[in-house]
Amino acid sequence: MIDDLRHEPLRSSLDHCVKCTICETACPVSNVTPLFPGPKYVGPQAERYRAAAQPSDEWSVDYCSGCGLCTMSCPQGVKIAELNAHARYAVKQRKGMPLRDRLIARPTVLGRLGTPVAPVANATLRARPLRAVVERVLGIHRDAPVPSFAGRTFRKWARGHQAPATGTKIVYFHGCGTEYYEPDVGEKVVAVLEHNGYRVEIPKQDCCGLPLQSNGLFEDARKYVLRLARALAPHARDGTLIVGNATSCTLMLKREAREILGLEDDPDLALVSRQTYDICELLLELHDRGQLRTDFEPVEEVVAYHAPCQQQGHWIGKPALELLALVPGLEVRELDARCCGIAGTYGLKREKYPIAMEVGADLFGQVAASGAELVACDSETCRWMIEHGTHRPSAHPVELLHRAYRL
Amino acid sequence: MSPSLSYDVVVLGAGVAGLSAATQLAEGGARVCVLAKGVGSTHLAPGTVDVLGYSPERVEEPGGALGEFIAAHPEHPYALMGAQAIAPALEWFAACIERGPQPGYSYTGGLARNHLLPTAVGAIRPSALVPETMAAGDMRAAGPVCVVGVRVLRDFYASVCAGNLRRAGIDARAVEVDVDVGRVEANSLGLARCFDDERFRAAFAARLAMLLRPGERVGLPAVLGLRDPHGAWSDLQRRLGHAVFEVPTLPPSAPGMRIYNALVHALRRGGGRLVLGSEVRGVEREAGRVSAVRAHTSGHETTYHARWVVLATGGFASGAIELGSDWRARETVLGLPLRGMPPAGEPRFGADYFGPQPMSGVGVAVDSSLLAQDTENVYVAGAALPGAMPWREGSGEGISLASGHFVAQAVLEHEVAAAAA
Amino acid sequence: MEKLSADVLVIGGGATGAGVAWDASLRGLDVVLVERGDLATGTSGRFHGLLHSGGRYAVKDPAAADECARENVIVRRVAADSVEDTGGFFVTTPFDDPAYADRFAQGCRDSGVPCQEVAPAQALREEPRLNPRISRAFRVPDASIDVWKLVWALSRGAQERGARVLPYHQAVAVHRDGDEVQGARVRSARTGQELDIEARVTVSAAGAWGGQLAALAGIEGVHVMPGKGIMIAMNHRLVDTVINRCQMPTDGDIIVPIRTVSVIGTTDVGTDDPDDHTVLQDEVDAMLEDGERLIPGFKQARALRVWTGARPLFEDRKENGASESRDVTRAHALLDHRERDGVSGFVTITGGKLTTYRLMAEETVDAVCRQLGEARPSRTATEPLPGSEDGEYYRLAERLDRREQHLLEDQLICECELISRGRLEAAFRQRGTTDLDDIRRQLRLGMGPCQGGFCVYRTAGILHGLDGIDTEQANAALVDYVAERWKGEWPILYGDQLRQARLDEWIFQGILDIEHLP
Repeated sequence: MIDDLRHEPLRSSLDHCVKCTICETACPVSNVTPLFPGPKYVGPQAERYRAAAQPSDEWSVDYCSGCGLCTMSCPQGVKIAELNAHARYAVKQRKGMPLRDRLIARPTVLGRLGTPVAPVANATLRARPLRAVVERVLGIHRDAPVPSFAGRTFRKWARGHQAPATGTKIVYFHGCGTEYYEPDVGEKVVAVLEHNGYRVEIPKQDCCGLPLQSNGLFEDARKYVLRLARALAPHARDGTLIVGNATSCTLMLKREAREILGLEDDPDLALVSRQTYDICELLLELHDRGQLRTDFEPVEEVVAYHAPCQQQGHWIGKPALELLALVPGLEVRELDARCCGIAGTYGLKREKYPIAMEVGADLFGQVAASGAELVACDSETCRWMIEHGTHRPSAHPVELLHRAYRL
Repeated sequence: MSPSLSYDVVVLGAGVAGLSAATQLAEGGARVCVLAKGVGSTHLAPGTVDVLGYSPERVEEPGGALGEFIAAHPEHPYALMGAQAIAPALEWFAACIERGPQPGYSYTGGLARNHLLPTAVGAIRPSALVPETMAAGDMRAAGPVCVVGVRVLRDFYASVCAGNLRRAGIDARAVEVDVDVGRVEANSLGLARCFDDERFRAAFAARLAMLLRPGERVGLPAVLGLRDPHGAWSDLQRRLGHAVFEVPTLPPSAPGMRIYNALVHALRRGGGRLVLGSEVRGVEREAGRVSAVRAHTSGHETTYHARWVVLATGGFASGAIELGSDWRARETVLGLPLRGMPPAGEPRFGADYFGPQPMSGVGVAVDSSLLAQDTENVYVAGAALPGAMPWREGSGEGISLASGHFVAQAVLEHEVAAAAA
Repeated sequence: MEKLSADVLVIGGGATGAGVAWDASLRGLDVVLVERGDLATGTSGRFHGLLHSGGRYAVKDPAAADECARENVIVRRVAADSVEDTGGFFVTTPFDDPAYADRFAQGCRDSGVPCQEVAPAQALREEPRLNPRISRAFRVPDASIDVWKLVWALSRGAQERGARVLPYHQAVAVHRDGDEVQGARVRSARTGQELDIEARVTVSAAGAWGGQLAALAGIEGVHVMPGKGIMIAMNHRLVDTVINRCQMPTDGDIIVPIRTVSVIGTTDVGTDDPDDHTVLQDEVDAMLEDGERLIPGFKQARALRVWTGARPLFEDRKENGASESRDVTRAHALLDHRERDGVSGFVTITGGKLTTYRLMAEETVDAVCRQLGEARPSRTATEPLPGSEDGEYYRLAERLDRREQHLLEDQLICECELISRGRLEAAFRQRGTTDLDDIRRQLRLGMGPCQGGFCVYRTAGILHGLDGIDTEQANAALVDYVAERWKGEWPILYGDQLRQARLDEWIFQGILDIEHLP
């Protein structure tokens, strides 16, 4: 099974490890809990003790949050987080998959169930006694930040939206977060793109499969991501770009699905991967060409910016910072905390939520010390965690641009 | 659309050389982007600035010894840049630390005299510029020394350190202090964060104070804080009533990470960009100039156009220069020619570990202005330079800072001249 | 002069010598075993760890194949704790004569080597790194064996039955009174003190040094030619099954997954001196090419270490002249010197291969018993060694599992090899040694990718802190260790391992400055 996933290229990268400890300095989890012995240990080091057909009793790799900061910091090019993902998959295969993981890994299922009954669903999820029951039964921590259903879907709005007649075609990959929880962010993304001369196409699309992958449900993850690739690829074959605002999901398409799920050879996914952009990445490149509209009105506010781990995993630096710097009156304080702690679905779990809160403590403290009223952050799950940990609102950087454009 | 961005200067590598060059370029008004495959040498290095420690005898006064050293090593980066390139680089660095995010933290020393600091095993190592938190460890100073170990830190052992200091004639002894950090083992980074916490320091000092004897200087592993080392160190000294010094030990290095944080802070403040995780995979040339580099980003490559490129990617240790199993060496990032390789068929290494090693001086071929051979706009800084054996000479940071400063000045002069024209 | 007495004195503490001590003790004989260095530092500790199925000899030497096939089953049973049941493949690569495969299959059938042909696609599914162009594949019961574990278990088992085991004692004279060997004098390498050992029979189990020992006893014509071969350990297990080229035995035709590494071997260079450890660059380059044939991409994989082992190739020079290395027999040779030379109380066992150590030991002790005039049967074919009582094979994940059990309780000192502080301190107390190398061999300290870069300082620090070694010894440990590691590193120092070596240089010279220790 592991062989089907093209385990070998990842495994070979362990040869590059010189045990330098740099990955350990970057890891947000091992720095707060000894339950996770660190990326060097569970990645290239433990990998030498794993043989395909031989089971082991290892457990600590399950505490890896999959943030990917280790791979990013490694000066030697070891695919640490990716090796960890495979190891965790093997552990899950051996130990079995709790119902909880299957459930929270399917945001579209939850979304479809919750959206029609949003007010009731949201009230239920806020009710502490019920959350206590959910914790006991399902293992989702009672205090973990679960988002509120919007009660409407982004798709519905998109169907009713009239795109301009002219403009450069671009495909919008909105992701589950926008679809079920934050359709207003999607509307703003479309507006900002149209303001810059794009004609936005929003094909029918579903989940990218990232939560399935990070919970070790590799077979299902592949189905989802390939289905998404098939949905998007036809629109991109003529060179049209694909843009997204959910940085974890765009990273899944760009790189993680191919590397971790062994899908390097799928031509649709390869195409989609090449042509997918993060919204800030796209806008910054436009600006570099002189093609970004800079008719920003002042936004007098102090904003803190946190780059999510999986935004950093795009390896493009922090384009949001340079974009926000263009907005007059806006004071941006760059935070240098490692991770908010949520790591997708990791921080929702009963046994991991306390760790997630400790991981995020540094960030929350920096937010408080920054004097900022708002925290800009590119990933929706991180925004929900930041709001939970700081009691301050959080918005995607593109929402600030939208405001500055006065759209 | 093909993804691309343009800058005045692209710096490759986020070690001391790359970050210091990039920061000085940004401070000089250039639009700079640093591309790095990962974090650099800072996290592994002791955190001192070594200019010249051994040549091959121990050097007492680096400033004075440079002339002779350069005469004996005409291929060395110091020879190419000239000895006068070093002092301004050290001054810039010291100022950068003082302006940096660690309040009150500073470096002390210079080219006049090397400090003689103890290593984690108790050898004595010369260093020109050292953090204030280490200065009291200069073994020239008289007086008894108490080396303190912390059991939870598996990377530092006080007894063997003190044992070797005694063998060198120093009145040294070792004690061990037990601390509860909620886990059975910690590295220097973990412990440094504890020392950033005042309550932890108070408890630690209370335990340690009981074990100290009058007049002793206290040697601790280099864990005196990451965020506020000056605060941690001076607080501890005050509480103990003894002089305290840090001893660098196995990686990860807290003093090294302080340097990284200070340099990145300065880079950002100067308006420079840092892109981590981005490996350069291709080059575009126009005549003798490198016009752009192609960096591997997730999904697609991004092309970074620049007028100037600084190659500060390191040598064999970082893998930027690679020796294949065919025994041929390559500069893997821009494909530039190397200097110092033994001819094909001749041995690459010697059997005696401490003896001369034929491969030791390999680096990217440059002219006396540190411009890479066969290019007009690629400067080389740091461990990528040929002609040095920094770990033996004790010259690593000296070369990195001096060359970083040197190339930054060179590029800024070109830019000013171009703007004037 | 101190004096010991025993029934049997065994000189040579490799697999054969330890096996003789175990076998003899089980038969109720009183044994003293001496070894000039640490146990298994001769040929035994310097080979690739293959427990042959016998397939390698199926065509060329059917008698050897038959022997291996039988002993393979026995050793798996009695020494299970040291054996990993990797299985083996013989594969026909594009560089091999396709006709050999059928001869191989026939040879296996004829000599009782279990052999089953499998489709190349199946072999490739199990071992995805193999050359995709293999045309035939055969499954055999090869296994990998941890020699250190085996020899220490043999030694412990013998000691539990009263044997005395003395490492670091070199034989400096053989006591001979006329036609009777009565024992030997040994000198302690640690203290320089000498010791006389009186024995009714003396066994020379000195392998490649057997010729030297026979000469010491004044016996002629025992010529043991050291057949030197190199082996290279690759940083991780490129394969989990032993891979053999399906052809006549030649250089670089085996890859053995042993513990966390894969070892490729070997070559065959005749030499005069069994202590000659020269590695030739050409040999290394050729071996990397050999690896590439079996595993495409081998030359980009990380080579960790290269070393040499000297096979003991016996030639009875009493009558014949000299001959070429590989063709000199690989079969073992038992010389009962009472019969051969009229000198009683002396037996030499030499030649052979690790797989047949038990058989060699049994035959040797049979000869000893004949000389003693006592009929005592061997029990080693059925008696499990200490640690192997449950018959459970070694698993690669053992150390990882153990570490995961104690993750929150104990510090990890050697990270590559997952050695905890508790384990280190216990081994140190038990050995009572001040030589880090002894502990290294026992625990595999510093034998992983970083080659001691981090753990050597930690270990020296811990032992010094326990007052187990003094500062001078700690310094020597650091400096000698680093120099020793370098010996096996520099001939294969390219790519990733060169990066590692540079980082280690930064640590030892840049941070610790061991070159300037007082």
